[in-house]
Amino acid sequence: MKSKKAPYFFIAPALILLFFFSILPIFIALIISFTDMSLAGLADYSRINFMGVENYTNILSDPSFRQSILNTIYYVIIGVPLVVALSMGIAILINMGKGKFFSFMRLIFYSPSITNIVAIAIVWSFLFNPSDSIGLFNRLLHTIGLGPIAWLQDPRIAKLSLIILAVWRGIGINMLIFSAALTNIPKTMYEAAELDGATQLQQIRYITIPQLKFSTFFVIVTTLIGWLQFFEEPFVMTEGGPLNSTLSVSLFIYRNGFQLNNFGYAAAGSLILFVVIIIATLFQMKIQRKEEENTI
Amino acid sequence: MVSINRKTKIIIGIILGIWGAFTIIPFIWMILSAFKTNPEIVAIQPKILPNEWTLDNFRELFQRLNFGVYLKNTIIITLMSFVGLLINAAAGFGFAHYDFKGKNVLFILVLATMMIPGQVTMIPVYLMLNAVGLTNTYLGIVLPGLTGAFGIFLFRQFFSNISEEFFEAARLDGAGEFYIFFRVALPLSRPILAVQGILAFIGGWNSFLWPLIIANDQKFYTLSVGLQLLQGQHGANYALQMAGAAFMVVPILIIFLIFQKYILSGFNISGGK
Amino acid sequence: MRKWNKKALVGTVGLLTAGFLAACGSGNSSEEANSDTGSNSSKEVSFWFMGDGNEQVQPILDSFTEETGIKVNVQSIPWSAAHDRLLTAVASGEGPDVVQMGTTWMSEFSDAGALMDITDYINSEDELNRDNFFEGNVGTNEFDGKYYGVPWYTETRALYYRSDLLEDIGYSEAPKTWDELKDAALKLSKRGDNMYGFNVDGSDQTFGFMFARQNGSKLLDKEGNPLFNQKPFVESAEYLNSMIQNGSAPAQDLGIDISQSFGGEGIVPMFISGPWMITAINENASDIDGKWATAVLPAGPENNLSNTGGANLSVWNGTDNTKNAIELIKFMSKPENQLTFLDTSSSLPAVKSAWEDEKLQGDKIAPFGEQLESSEHMPLMPKWEEVAQKYLDYWEQITVGGADIQDTLDAFNKDAASILKK
Repeated sequence: MKSKKAPYFFIAPALILLFFFSILPIFIALIISFTDMSLAGLADYSRINFMGVENYTNILSDPSFRQSILNTIYYVIIGVPLVVALSMGIAILINMGKGKFFSFMRLIFYSPSITNIVAIAIVWSFLFNPSDSIGLFNRLLHTIGLGPIAWLQDPRIAKLSLIILAVWRGIGINMLIFSAALTNIPKTMYEAAELDGATQLQQIRYITIPQLKFSTFFVIVTTLIGWLQFFEEPFVMTEGGPLNSTLSVSLFIYRNGFQLNNFGYAAAGSLILFVVIIIATLFQMKIQRKEEENTI
Repeated sequence: MVSINRKTKIIIGIILGIWGAFTIIPFIWMILSAFKTNPEIVAIQPKILPNEWTLDNFRELFQRLNFGVYLKNTIIITLMSFVGLLINAAAGFGFAHYDFKGKNVLFILVLATMMIPGQVTMIPVYLMLNAVGLTNTYLGIVLPGLTGAFGIFLFRQFFSNISEEFFEAARLDGAGEFYIFFRVALPLSRPILAVQGILAFIGGWNSFLWPLIIANDQKFYTLSVGLQLLQGQHGANYALQMAGAAFMVVPILIIFLIFQKYILSGFNISGGK
Repeated sequence: MRKWNKKALVGTVGLLTAGFLAACGSGNSSEEANSDTGSNSSKEVSFWFMGDGNEQVQPILDSFTEETGIKVNVQSIPWSAAHDRLLTAVASGEGPDVVQMGTTWMSEFSDAGALMDITDYINSEDELNRDNFFEGNVGTNEFDGKYYGVPWYTETRALYYRSDLLEDIGYSEAPKTWDELKDAALKLSKRGDNMYGFNVDGSDQTFGFMFARQNGSKLLDKEGNPLFNQKPFVESAEYLNSMIQNGSAPAQDLGIDISQSFGGEGIVPMFISGPWMITAINENASDIDGKWATAVLPAGPENNLSNTGGANLSVWNGTDNTKNAIELIKFMSKPENQLTFLDTSSSLPAVKSAWEDEKLQGDKIAPFGEQLESSEHMPLMPKWEEVAQKYLDYWEQITVGGADIQDTLDAFNKDAASILKK
């Protein structure tokens, strides 16, 4: 018989910490979003004015904010499936191989996650350089008679360039999560399938991928949330340009909140983002639940 | 695991090798740059290997960095952040294996915390810690990042994947809930503990903003803060930065290699191997 | 709607009280704690320094301690995190005694009440006398006739050019006027594909405003309304844009390091920047030693005003250690200590008399001293940063998007007016 109280003991420490350091601040942010709080207001609360929903109406009609929302949707739609598929693919390939070489590959694919962001910015600026005598990508294209491409300068291409960079960075940790889950698939399942004459591709299709269901769900949700908060790549590579074509919602919030001290405005932006993320996550959970019902 | 023949294995190895080579270029570049002079790094068509290997960057790094103090703080903070692993594992276990009132609401609340950008919470959290007198303490530096929705969620997913029968068997033997958690669940979750361990280590090792904000005294600064100071006012000395970054990454590599073993030594759930 | 507003207001007040009550409570207790140390603090002063304090400022502080017996607790804060650190200090009210402030931050932090009005000391202490410092820097400390700080070091923009390449096209000296600048830039850009003459910096918030001033724009009228769609401003934008359109200047950042853009073949052989580039060029482009120089900015139709930056030293509001804080600032304002700081950090002294030293007579640095006589800071208002940020967005629409200049600046002016009104 399971104890009734036990679960509360298990979750209490985490919940208490989260309550103070995440949930309470969200409510404070909510309050701030209805005010014109700026630096002066931070020092002296009497200088904070209540603005009602004005921040929200203003931000929703701000062309930069709208642009940043569209950009972020674009990032998510292209980036998330890529990250999930590639990190799962690499994890499965590595797992099939076994042996020293293959576990070393795990470290290799993880390396972008531990590469210093300054190093990333320098190297990728060099890779993306528009000149076909300097930039590595354009030099390669040049040798096969293509290009040069203005990777970060053309408003239509810059977003895709940042997605390439972010996918490269994002594979590592998700690959590890899939790797951890792969080790938990019972060997006997494959042995049984093999006896039934299933090919390797069939084994992957009908055993591995379904068995990774839980991790896949986890990776999709966290990647989705991460990409909705897309920030570092445009921050270090393009600062949102050219023509705001790479501006993400998070970067917009950062600019307004921490560079320009419009805390109220920024808080309104982050709460809109917050609501969008919750909706996207709930939607994702619903799909997952439906799939579960279908498979059972 | 899908068993494959030698030929397939070699093909897979080649695919991974080529792909991996592209992936690791920036990392290699970072390491090798630490041994170059700055003009060489920014040269118009940089070579991969240094023309002349130099240790000057590291020499400068250690001379200018208040090394002993920064290292001590970094290690203390990193060790303390490991406590978070246990908290996350417990919460994930709680959410995965029990039905209790408000479970779904609470779990969605946990997930929701993942969705607020850190910048929004910075000032309120600082005010709270200030209110309870935790500024200028290690606890104040570590506490806000101790637990996180990502970790809880990961553990929950993992534990949901494990059949209930495992725990039932222990319960029939009269084991208490905490015994089950520590002796059955935790050992089972080794692969996830390893993933989380790597993350916790990296997080603690690289912690930058909180040590800076919470401290009113340089004696609480970490290596990351020290490196930022080195970067200087208008500094474009990439060589020095790369030396710092390369130095910071070595312990992470070691930890990775240690924990990777546990990721691999996953638990075979169906028992026999 | 109304009703809802009221409810929300009540809720807000309630939650704010709950959320911040504890913070306020502790504010008091920490003040007590401060005053505890305050009683024996006659021999101590705390100082926030942006950058690496051990390296750059410790020698000055050591001699200060030696001279006065006052111990300085310095806390170094990296520039990248300095604004965040100051924000939290404002929020909790717990700051140092003396703080180094970037000139562009002065208006927001003095407006927030974070800095102490030290006008009386500036009037009474010789070392802090306004006449000692460059006017452009003193101005960054003044708000409504009160002074909130003392200049610490200064920065201004000057022209960097490749003397050898300019010689080739018949310029034995740096361009002296807008026309010469444009002419030289065009000729230099004819050297080949992907070669340019000048850099119209699209990421520098002050660049366009600087040129507008040279064309006689006041930027803001007396009431603080923007003049960005008026003739002087529009003409300067047309002038800058014409250099981009005729290929003299790159339309977007080339993504290359100074060693290639200025060193080597000199892809961009003229640009405008601050004194910190001298060290960067010396270190990273040693191949062009003796082939480059600096000069005061080419004059526009009206003047050759540059933009003043740098940092000030301020006293944190609420410190009970004002006397020692002022002592420290006085000491740091002495010419000899300003020169020490030049040695340790390459920052230019804000004290005029320090410039008589021979260290500042070198041919690369002297033009900056000369330019400082014709240099002004950007308008000082908390919202200026936001306007300047908006300017970059609109400017990009002209250079990259090919938008009409007058239309774009009309829109910018309207936007700026509404920002400044807030």
